[in-house]
Formats: sequence, C-alpha cells, structure tokens
Amino acid sequence: MVKYSYYPGNVARQSSMEVEDTIQPLCRTLGIELIEMVGYNGDGGNIIRQGNKDLQLALNARNLAIAEKNGHDIITPCASAQGILHESLKTFQDDPIALARANRVLEMTTGLTLNAEISTNHLLHVLVDEIGLDKVEAAVINPLDLDIACYYGPHMQQKGACGNDDAWNPDYMERLITALGGNAVDFKSKTSSVGNPSILSLGDSVMKMTARVLNDAKKAGARVLVSACTQAHSNLDSYQGKAGRVANKDTNIPVVNLTEIVAFALGHFPDRFAQLRTRAMIIGS
Amino acid sequence: MPTVAKVWIEEDCITCDACEDILPEVFEVSDDTSKIKAEVREDGAFDRNIGFSSIKSEFRIEYSELIEEAADACPVEIIKFEFEGGAAEVETVAEAPAAEIAAAPVATVSDVGEDAGVLAGVLSGDRSLAIFFGSQTGNAAGLAEKTAKLAAAYGLEPTVIDMDGYDQSKFSTHKRILIITSTWGEGEMPDNAEDLWNATCSSSPSLAGVHYSVCAIGDTSYDEYCKAGIDWDDKFKALGATQILEIKLCDVDFDEPWSQWVSEVLPRIACVDANGVFQEDMVEAMIAYGSGDEDDGASDGDFTPANIVESTISLTMRIFRYNPTLAQSGYDTIAVALPGHATIEDALLAVKREVDGSLTFRSGGIAGHNPLTGVKANGRILPADTTRICDLVGEGDTMTIEPLPGYEVVKDLMVSYDRYDYDRANSKPWLVADPRQGEKLASGAPIGVMTSAEATSLHTLADVGSLQLVNAMSDTYDVDDKYSGPGLALQRWVRSQDPRSGEKHVKQMFELMQKKGGVWDEADISSIQRHGIDGSQAADSLYDARARLLAEYKFTGKSGRLVKNYSRSVKMSGNVNETTLYRSVLGPLGLGSNILNGVSLRMMLGFTRNGGPIMRGFQGMLVPPAGIGKIPNMFNSKVVNHHEVVAIFNELDGRF
Repeated sequence: MVKYSYYPGNVARQSSMEVEDTIQPLCRTLGIELIEMVGYNGDGGNIIRQGNKDLQLALNARNLAIAEKNGHDIITPCASAQGILHESLKTFQDDPIALARANRVLEMTTGLTLNAEISTNHLLHVLVDEIGLDKVEAAVINPLDLDIACYYGPHMQQKGACGNDDAWNPDYMERLITALGGNAVDFKSKTSSVGNPSILSLGDSVMKMTARVLNDAKKAGARVLVSACTQAHSNLDSYQGKAGRVANKDTNIPVVNLTEIVAFALGHFPDRFAQLRTRAMIIGS
Repeated sequence: MPTVAKVWIEEDCITCDACEDILPEVFEVSDDTSKIKAEVREDGAFDRNIGFSSIKSEFRIEYSELIEEAADACPVEIIKFEFEGGAAEVETVAEAPAAEIAAAPVATVSDVGEDAGVLAGVLSGDRSLAIFFGSQTGNAAGLAEKTAKLAAAYGLEPTVIDMDGYDQSKFSTHKRILIITSTWGEGEMPDNAEDLWNATCSSSPSLAGVHYSVCAIGDTSYDEYCKAGIDWDDKFKALGATQILEIKLCDVDFDEPWSQWVSEVLPRIACVDANGVFQEDMVEAMIAYGSGDEDDGASDGDFTPANIVESTISLTMRIFRYNPTLAQSGYDTIAVALPGHATIEDALLAVKREVDGSLTFRSGGIAGHNPLTGVKANGRILPADTTRICDLVGEGDTMTIEPLPGYEVVKDLMVSYDRYDYDRANSKPWLVADPRQGEKLASGAPIGVMTSAEATSLHTLADVGSLQLVNAMSDTYDVDDKYSGPGLALQRWVRSQDPRSGEKHVKQMFELMQKKGGVWDEADISSIQRHGIDGSQAADSLYDARARLLAEYKFTGKSGRLVKNYSRSVKMSGNVNETTLYRSVLGPLGLGSNILNGVSLRMMLGFTRNGGPIMRGFQGMLVPPAGIGKIPNMFNSKVVNHHEVVAIFNELDGRF
C-alpha cells in the first residue's frame, strides 16, 4: 500500500462530489492509501493571490505543514490544486526568507512548522510514475473502448509539477487511457487554458477559450473529453452549451473527471459508466 | 571579434549560388563565377576582386560574420578573406600545402584549474593532436577543421595538417593522430594524399608510439568504398601504431557518421597521456569533462564555458504555411538533420535555402535576439533567432513551428505586429514626468534621478526579452481582440512604478490597467506563467499590478468583487463556498442569465454527475437564489481548526 496525504482541492468535496465518489475506490483498488489531511483549507485558487500573495502562500503553507505532519507526500485529483501547491512549495524551497515569513505566521496562528521537504503530486503522475501502467492495466475490469481526448490545462504543466511527463507535449493521460482499454485521441489545445479563474468575472473570452478546447477535441475525433483539472471541468461541462453559442462552435461532448474514467474502467460505478457510454454514443460525435 | 577587411573569389567557382543566397549584398553569381559587388568595395569594381580591394569600412561589422558563413558554405572553398590588421585568412587550406593550421581552442588545459581531479594525469604535459586530411573536394578538410574545434574541449591542442607535402618521417613524432580522408575515383588516394601515401609505403617508418584512428569518406555506389581510408588504417596498423578506435566508414551523407566517430574518438585519444600511454579507465571521466558535465574541471568560483557544440539531431519539421493570395493554410513536413546547437531560425533558413525559397518568416540580425522573431514551437512561445533546436527536441522528434498566436498572419510564419503597435500607441506607456520647475520637478523630486535600488527593482519588474512574445504567451490574447495583452500591461505597470513618472501619468496608467483591455481581461495568468523565465516574470508583475489596483480601486468591478468574496468565503469556512460566491459576484442578473442560457439546467441535470444522485443537483434549487449553480453543498461546514484559517487572514490581511 502506498500512502499519500490526500488534498481534495477546492471542489471535490463541494460542488464536484463525483470526484470524491470515484477517487476513493480507485485508490483502494490500486493500493493507494489516502491519508486524510485533517483541517485542510482552500488553496486560494490563484484568486486570493491577486489580492495578497503572502496570504495565499500562508494558506498553502498550512496545507503543506499538515501533510508534513502526516508524514506523507501530497496527492490531489486537481491539476489546478497541483499547480498552486507545487508553486507554493517551490517558493518555500527556493526562498528561505519566504519560508521563514510563512513559518512565523504559521507558528503564531497554528503552532505548525513547515520544513518544505515533501512533494506534491497529481493523481495522474502517481498512477504512471509510482503505481505503473502495467499494474493499472492488470486491474481493468471494464475496458473503456471509447475515443477519448485528454485535457491537462496549463496549471500543472510546468517543469517539476508534472512528474516525468513533458510539460509542453504531455502524454501521460493518453498512455493511461490506452492502458484502461480506451482509444486516446490527441488534440492540439490539451494544455490550453479555459480561463477557469475568471469564469465569474469575464464573459465572452472565457467562453471562447472553453469552446476552443471542446471544439478541438471534437474535431480530433473524440467522443468523450477527460479533464485532469476538476476546476476546469466546470467550464468544460456546465458551460459548454453557452461556450458553443458564444464562439459559434460545436462543443457538444460529454466531459468527465479523470478520477471518474479511471474508476469506471476499474469496475466501479458500472451504472454511471453505462450512462456515460450512452451519452457518448448519442452526442459525442 | 575581428572584422573582415577583404574578400575575394579564387578560380573554379561552380556557380552554385550559395554565397549569394547567404549574402546578396556582397556576392553576386554570374554565369561563370561569383563576384564581389562594387557597392561594398573601395575600388568600386565588380569582379572576383583578385586585386584584393578592401571592403568599405561602413560594411565591415555588418557583413563580417556572413562573409565567414559564406566562405564556410562554399563547397569548393574558393571564397577567401582577410581580417582587419592583415591577419591571414582563415581558409588557407588550399594555398598552404603542408601548412599546419592551429585551430582556435574552445577550452584549454588551463581552464581546468589546479583541481583537475582524476583527469589531472592525462591533462598535463604534451596535449598535441595531429589531424591529417586527404581531401579532393574539401569535404575531408572541412571535417578536419570541425574535429579540431571539438578536440579543444577535451584539453587537446589540435593541429590540422594537409597531407600534401608532409614528410612521412615525422609521423612518429606524434603521439596522437587522426586521419580523415576521402577516396577518389576507383579507390585512389585524393590528389593531396598521393605523394605522402607513396612515400609512406616505400619508407615504412616505425609508428610504434602512435595512437590513431581513421575516418574514411566514400560512396557506396563505388566498388572500392572508402578504400583510401582503409589503406591508411591497414598501413598504420602494419607500421606498429595502436588503433584507438576502429575505422569509421562514411557514405555520401557523412555528417552523422563523422559526428558519431568524433564523439567517440576524441575522449579516447584525449586519454593518451604525455608518455603516450592510453589510460582507458579515464575515458568515462573524459567524456563527462568534454561535455561540460565534469565537476572536477573547475574549482569553486571559476567560470566554465558552456558546451556550445551539440551533436547532430535528425528530426521532422512541421512548418505552418499560409498563402494569403489563395487564403490557404496547412503544414509542410520536412525531414532534416541539423546540429543541435543550430537555432530555429537556422533551421528555417536551411529549409528556405535547400527546399523552398518562398518560405516566409522574420529573421533576426547578426547579433541575434531580435524581439520580433518569435514563433510558436511545439507549443512554446520562443524567439527563433536564439532558441537552440537541442533545447526543444531530441533525436527522432517532431518540431512543429507555427506563427505567434494573437497576431494576424501575413504569410507563413510572418505575423503583423500592428495590433501591438496600435495598442501601445494608445496606451502611452512611455515616461511622462511632472513639469519642471527650476532644477526640480513639480513634485519636488530631482529630475531624472533614481537610486540604484529603484532602478534595479524597476528593471526586474519587466525583465523579459520581448513584450510582443509575452502577449502571445497569453491564451486569452488570442480570443479577445479588445485585450491589449500582458506585455503592454507589464509596460504600463512598470511606468506606474517608475519614481520619475508624474502623478497624473501614474493615474493614467492605473486607469488604463483597470479598464476594459487592461490587466483584468487576462483570464488565466498561469497560461503565461508557465512560459519559462519571461513568462514567470511577467506573471509575477501582473499579479502585483492586480493587487495594487484592488487597493487603489477598493475591490470594485466584477474582478474586484470576485477576489474579495472568494477570500471572504475561504475565511468564513476554510474552503471556497461557491454558493455565496456565485451569488455575490454574478448578482441577480448574472444568476438569471445562467438560468436562461442553460448553464444552471446543465449543472442540475446530470452531465456533471454521470449518474450520481440527482438530488445533489436539485439541492441547488431548493433555496433560491443561493443555490443556483453546480452546488450540492449549500453551506460549507467549517474545516477542523477553522480558527487557524481565520487567524492567518487576520494576521496578513484585515480587508477580508
């Protein structure tokens, strides 16, 4: 059993319960023990940072310190959370003054101390680098058998934040989908932003960015889009109709989170998988 | 760098046009020979310049590098030149038979410093390396020169030697010998090697103390493939020399096999010590030393130059093409093999020269680092004139080159920067100080004075190579034609922070950043941040600018409300509460819009749930208007030890 401190991100236990539903059983199946980070807080979503950089850093210092206290590296299902955690950790590792400043606040407010000696990981990179695709493939019960495009987003596609994957031309998710019995469809905007941090403040441009990703995936032949970012999923899924109308593009395609598609292939929630397959058959073309 | 003072053309030009393609301002190829143009010559004549007239001084700096490049590219090596001060021309191979041409060392033994570690033994004493070439058309001579340049990295002191006129009895004076030779006709020696070969065969000098290796160039379509090289290899063996590496046979595409040979042979022959003993156990360390990876090479504080020569990479180039006349676009796919240290621009120039002269792109100057040469290469926004291929791709990879996003494509990879120029002109991001009153400004500040700390800080804020490229890094710039881009935002931010800027001008900069088209139109700064050092620096400055604007304008506008309410939401429960966030940021009109345009319906009816309990979606509708949205948890429960989160907020920012 591999143990990780589990950071759900901002939405897995809020508006996107399907992520929480699916990450737990898939991790059990693959021998990953998720250790609860008791009292974890929101990472600031790079929105708090716009008002106060030190505040967002301190909030993440608290999360990192909780994980350190657990004694295990962090795993998260959200690309955005991974990007923010990684950036905060790197700041603390590279800048002893920033670490000292955060520790001063932590000690005053929480009694915790951060050494910045852990790592943060997205589920995707743990599955490929740590668990191994051969083990994942061996655990498949319901092969995906769908044409699936993989969306990474920009947040974790930075050197050091995406495991051993290529930050600019990643293929970990495609390899994972293949191991799960699916047909991975490559498309050009898989690391482009859909403007999620501005979904509530900007209108047309966020819709156009969202439509670009969805339309590119469709044009490449995908019938389903899988998102490694649970925050971007909201744009890609809930807003896809509006995005299509604003950009005048065909955007109609089922979008699921990475945790869902992996759990489905491993035999969990066969009823949900059946619904997804039906949707893919009807609209994902 | 010395500049070229004279250039002339020798006989036997094959009128291949290579020189004119490289530097049409100086070379013009007529029906029978290349000539030096009158415009650049002191004597104003138009011929091969065998009278050695000087180049006009105003052209020397500009054209020197390209004249050298043209001379290097000349397949028959008849372009000759002379540096200022009368220094001998570099290409003297043909004129000086048997002359020993010392190559400029890239790194010498002295670079190693006193702490030479395990290699100290082999790197001391005599480090000479003799590189002989037998050449009919100049190919082998060229490879010998290249080999010499690379050899210096291994602490060797190379000398390139033309076989013509060489005294075979001196072979035995060398401890290290490399032979690079072509084969002529039906297995014959090249003309410049014929006499030396015959003399060696007849006198049979003992070569007992010599370590050697041979690189043979040939053509597999001939029966006697690489015979001259094989003959030298056999002869050296027979005379008692020690083969340090097996002979390398190269076909007409000799660059790649030569590259392999030279990368193997140099570290091996460099391990022959001053006593002529081959220290085989040092080879691994020598490889690391030559590649610049070796730690023992320099003591603390020494400067170790980077390894600027990289081995050849075979890759596939996918180049975006756009024909504005026909309004057609697509990609050309071309297989190429290029030195890894070549830039993207070098690769494009090679394609233009060898494959398609109509390929259009922006080219940098001789000095490099032109901010307008940017392209999108494998998804990255990069300057084409300074980005090395080896930093982008490896052996067998594909390099996709596209025009910069966000700008109108004129043709192929050439974009128009009119959008940037127009926005910049309107944004006036230049220095406008307060009016002058006597010796000081109206503000009381001295005129045009900054402390060094202020100047450093200001430079750091915008320490990026190209503002035009920073604009293209944004995924938003491409979809929002009203957005002036992060590059211009950066410029405005810097000007607003400049202590010399007048109060009115600072206010104007703030207003431009705050309003439509300014910094809040950037939908996702992380799309910029991931673009290396420039992207990271630009992102940091944009975040700083937003923080300053929030303070200045007191969290007004949608973006201000988002930051304020998001922060308060996290403070209240420890996690973001999207219920309150949607309501407070969008307001009743926004929520109504979500209902009308189907977003809310889509949130509820299952696409996000994939069969999850549908009540989760419906919960959101139970208590309107709070519950509009993808929000099953109406009210966040507070995280464990929530008081710690509140304390952090209170400690760092009382505004929330």
